[in-house]
Amino acid sequence: MDIPAMRANFAKAARTGDEAPLYFYSHLFLSHPETRALFPVSMAHQRDRLFAALGDVIARVDDLETLRPILEQLGRDHRKFGTVAAHYPAVGASLLATLEHFDEEWTPELAKSWTEAYDVVATVMIEAAEASAEQPAWWEADVVGHERRTIDVAVLQIRPRARYDYAAGQSVSLETDVRPKLWRYYSPANAPRPDGLMEIHVKARDGGPVSTALVRRVGVGDVLRLGPPVGHLVLREDADRDLLLVAGGLGLAPLKALVDSVARKGPPRRVDLFAGFRTEDQIYDRADLERMVREHPWLTVTFAVSEDKISGLEHGDIGDVVLRHGPWNSREICVAGPAVMVEDTVTRLVGSGVPTHRISSEVFAPSRPGPSVNGEVTE
Amino acid sequence: MTTDQSGTTNEDRGLTPADLHDVRFTRASMMRPGYVDSEVDRVLARVAEELGRLYAEKAALRDQVRSLQAQVDGVVMPEAPSEQAVRILSSAQQTADNYVAEAEEFSRQITHDARVEYEEMTREARETAGAILQAAQEAAAKIGPAAPPAGEQNTADLEEQVAYLKAFGQACRTQLRSYLEALLTDIETEWGKADPAALPRGLALPPAPRSTTTFEANTAEENPPETADGAVPAGSGGQRAG
Repeated sequence: MDIPAMRANFAKAARTGDEAPLYFYSHLFLSHPETRALFPVSMAHQRDRLFAALGDVIARVDDLETLRPILEQLGRDHRKFGTVAAHYPAVGASLLATLEHFDEEWTPELAKSWTEAYDVVATVMIEAAEASAEQPAWWEADVVGHERRTIDVAVLQIRPRARYDYAAGQSVSLETDVRPKLWRYYSPANAPRPDGLMEIHVKARDGGPVSTALVRRVGVGDVLRLGPPVGHLVLREDADRDLLLVAGGLGLAPLKALVDSVARKGPPRRVDLFAGFRTEDQIYDRADLERMVREHPWLTVTFAVSEDKISGLEHGDIGDVVLRHGPWNSREICVAGPAVMVEDTVTRLVGSGVPTHRISSEVFAPSRPGPSVNGEVTE
Repeated sequence: MTTDQSGTTNEDRGLTPADLHDVRFTRASMMRPGYVDSEVDRVLARVAEELGRLYAEKAALRDQVRSLQAQVDGVVMPEAPSEQAVRILSSAQQTADNYVAEAEEFSRQITHDARVEYEEMTREARETAGAILQAAQEAAAKIGPAAPPAGEQNTADLEEQVAYLKAFGQACRTQLRSYLEALLTDIETEWGKADPAALPRGLALPPAPRSTTTFEANTAEENPPETADGAVPAGSGGQRAG
């Protein structure tokens, strides 16, 4: 494998921007029409993703040990899209055709290098996919509850039809028939329950096809598809440090799951949850959180509003409000919410003397990689 | 008959088209014109035998091709698509992408504008209601001590007024909400047009029955307990500062 030559060749295709991925997908769909059904109507975001992923792989192609876990994860995760082993050679052939098309100095040696590299990548992905074959490729889940809490937030109760294992704080990708082939990540707001029920909080983003459909179109009796869970804010089983949880907007969901996890499994620890919203009437899950406070003496919940002058709740950015209640130096801390809020809160906490290694955070950004028109990150 | 000298090797390697071209039959005799029957018969027998062998071989090969084909199906690349085909499909895909992007952008703008308007109107309505309430309370406070019986009367009046204002506020909210719902349904339909695959379910699912229940749930949730100062205004639109 001549890796420098491959990188140079890939750079030529990548320089063309959208052209190369456009060529690649057209080539793939023409030579294997059955693959078209695996993708959404609009391929715009898909194209960005493909070359970004390829670029990541190329950057690490000489370090298979680093690359392997990434590829394995990719291979497992691709099962939910309906990818099967037979698709890999098809993709490889179209990839080679694309790289050849955009390189004036294409050589048989380059073709050989790419074929070898692709074989390695595909083999790792296929093996990982096959190793997880005892798990379903995706899980169907019935929507058994759908409650609109504010003008743009809904709380869904879903029940997977088969056993679905996840940990509190993890995220789950899901797809609805109303928006086929568009997978988005959401965090269940509860720890695993014996009856399998999962609570999903969704905020309809302006112009967001999936979130809008989940809030306004999907209802009780509909079926969602779930992909395997991926982990972010997962508590260590052995740790029993008291917790400080800081949520901005819909970042509340994974943190509520952590509270639920402490309630169900322990270990016993104090939990202080701070939840920031713009205005008081945006606090979409107040009743349930207040119920939890009544049931659990170890739990406090503090709401804060940043743009509501009349509210009787605490005022200010949530990071600021948290510090007013400090110090938190001995706590294990989880922060979840919009990027600005997470960054601000973490900076303030670190500034107040909390060691960084005890802070974990999750940024709630729009699931899709394409930026919205004004580059705004709605939670 | 003069075909080939070495008849036996000929049998071994089978009958070739050239062999047949080269067949020369002996003339029978003056009395019986034509070829010698036995020679013709022998050649015919060999041709028939050869044909049979070829058919059998062909059938065997065909089976072999089929089984190989089955093995490599999906692995072997069909003919590579032409450059022209790739170009045509690419531009068709781009056209589709642009339509979807436009629909999403349209939906984004409309939803955004509608929500800003909703928040603004709710805020104004609450502020107005708050101001009226406050003025009424001040008026009541002035009258109150001077004329106790009339004060009681006034309190009753005020309470009625407060109840009316609350109901008025509630009605405003409900109306705004249904207006917004209607707008959003329109947007949904637009999106559905951009993505026809999602259409049939969408059209068969009028949002009305669900939203009625959520109205109650929502208003119960959003309307804070009927505290002394009554209303809590919604903030104006804009990005959460974090």
